[in-house]
Amino acid sequence: MSRGSNAGFDRHITIFSPEGRLYQVEYAFKAISQSGLTSIGVRGSDSVVVVTQKKVPDKLLDSSTVTNMFHLTPRIGCVMTGHNADSRSQVHRARVEAGEWKYKFGYDITADVLCRRLADISQVYTQNAEMRPLGCCMILVAMDPQHGPVLYKCDPAGYYCGFRATAVGAKQTEANSYLEKKLKKKPELSHDRAVQMAISCLASVLSMDFKASELEIGVVTKDKPKFRTLSEAEIEVHLVAIAERE
Amino acid sequence: MSSIGTGYDLSASTFSPDGRVFQVEYAMKAVENSSTAIGIRCKDGIVFGVEKLVLSKLYEEGSNKRIFNIDRHVGMAVAGLLADARSLAEVAREEASNFRSNYGHDIPLKHLSDRVAMYVHAYTLYSAVRPFGCSFILGSYDKDDGAQLYMVDPSGISYGYWGCAIGKAKQAAKTEIEKLQVRRLYSRQKQKLKLIYIVHDEVKDKAFELELSWVGDVTNGRHELVPKDVKEEAEKYAKVRLYETECSEFYNSCETAGPPASMLGVRSVLQVVCGKRCCRRSTWTCFLFQDSLEEEDDSDEDNM
Repeated sequence: MSRGSNAGFDRHITIFSPEGRLYQVEYAFKAISQSGLTSIGVRGSDSVVVVTQKKVPDKLLDSSTVTNMFHLTPRIGCVMTGHNADSRSQVHRARVEAGEWKYKFGYDITADVLCRRLADISQVYTQNAEMRPLGCCMILVAMDPQHGPVLYKCDPAGYYCGFRATAVGAKQTEANSYLEKKLKKKPELSHDRAVQMAISCLASVLSMDFKASELEIGVVTKDKPKFRTLSEAEIEVHLVAIAERE
Repeated sequence: MSSIGTGYDLSASTFSPDGRVFQVEYAMKAVENSSTAIGIRCKDGIVFGVEKLVLSKLYEEGSNKRIFNIDRHVGMAVAGLLADARSLAEVAREEASNFRSNYGHDIPLKHLSDRVAMYVHAYTLYSAVRPFGCSFILGSYDKDDGAQLYMVDPSGISYGYWGCAIGKAKQAAKTEIEKLQVRRLYSRQKQKLKLIYIVHDEVKDKAFELELSWVGDVTNGRHELVPKDVKEEAEKYAKVRLYETECSEFYNSCETAGPPASMLGVRSVLQVVCGKRCCRRSTWTCFLFQDSLEEEDDSDEDNM
């Protein structure tokens, strides 16, 4: 692999390396694991669930301001994993895009369109030398008026896809294999089962038992199609249910 | 994984192989080189304290402020590169002013800190600019939301805090703040002002000026500098308590380590016990203890 011809900048800006790789984009993926958190999304038959860890490292932090779950529109929610400042920026951009769509066309944007728009924006960052890709990954959840519950993921490379279940973050490979095993037989997941599957996945991959204050859970269901985050009491109910099943 | 800084740290638009943006981390180091700033959120308001190191005797007291007024009800204490901080204060003021002209009332602090944080974050994305080398603490008080305190750092992240510290002595300051259990305090309580004094003293440099400001019920929701008489009262109280703490620490150390055999020993014990205190303070306390130690000196001579 001779690197004599190029000036060696392929690792510094988003240009191709001689083997055809974009190193900066790959490093952006590594930045997602830097935050140390893992997030899981699971789509059930009539609901979608996203779960993420909540770590408040400093006792002096006001924990009500520390969150990785955001509303993008009343019906679309997301969980961000990775570099915190980049996440906030992407959420803000998503909200702006959703707002402009509603203003221009008069109806709410759907999750797939929003995800595609954000992915296209992220792709631009991978083609311009002057800016870097954002070191964060977004999992969007929504109740689509036509398709029902949907789960989308959008990454720094500008790739997006719909999923039945997915994981992002420090332990994503292990979490993804766990989810593949559990969902191989394509089971019908009720809302409670979906929540509990997401929590158990996280618990088994991180090998720890969670307290309700260490988790953030966001759901969209058929009866309540608006995105909402569960309170600690509701999380506790699910944790107890998991413990009883075992 | 070793952090390969060289080569990947030249611009904010480059990730390193392990996924870090070094320029942003270096900007945070610039903040750690500056003197300390503290913000504390209590039930009825916020108190800011900034330690300004006096570099020259020609320095005019009260100039070179590090606490800014952003609109009537919001205060901002900064640490890091002051020039960057001043331009960010301008940005914050514009945001607050635009909000007021659009919506007709005071800007909520969360909104302001989100907007300024995003501005700071934008400078961490491009190679043509460098990240801001300053962190700042924003605080405000209003009747509906109560007291709020947010900190923004060079990476563009902002969180709400009960108490926070930025700059050189931030670790020591945070420990002290945690001890205080700030949630239960009221603005006027002296313990808090004393804490600022203690923490500001934990540096090697000899001379500093303390800038204090507050916003809360006592000021009717306006951000103001703490009036001179309150400040002096607090400083006196703080010095007394500080002396008492040092005495008790010294006694404790004597009990465990045995009395020092000479003046030099006393000085060094004090320095160990009190961390990096300024020499002036150590000599002062030494002087007071000399009498009580002289008897013990004789008994130790044989052992030496």
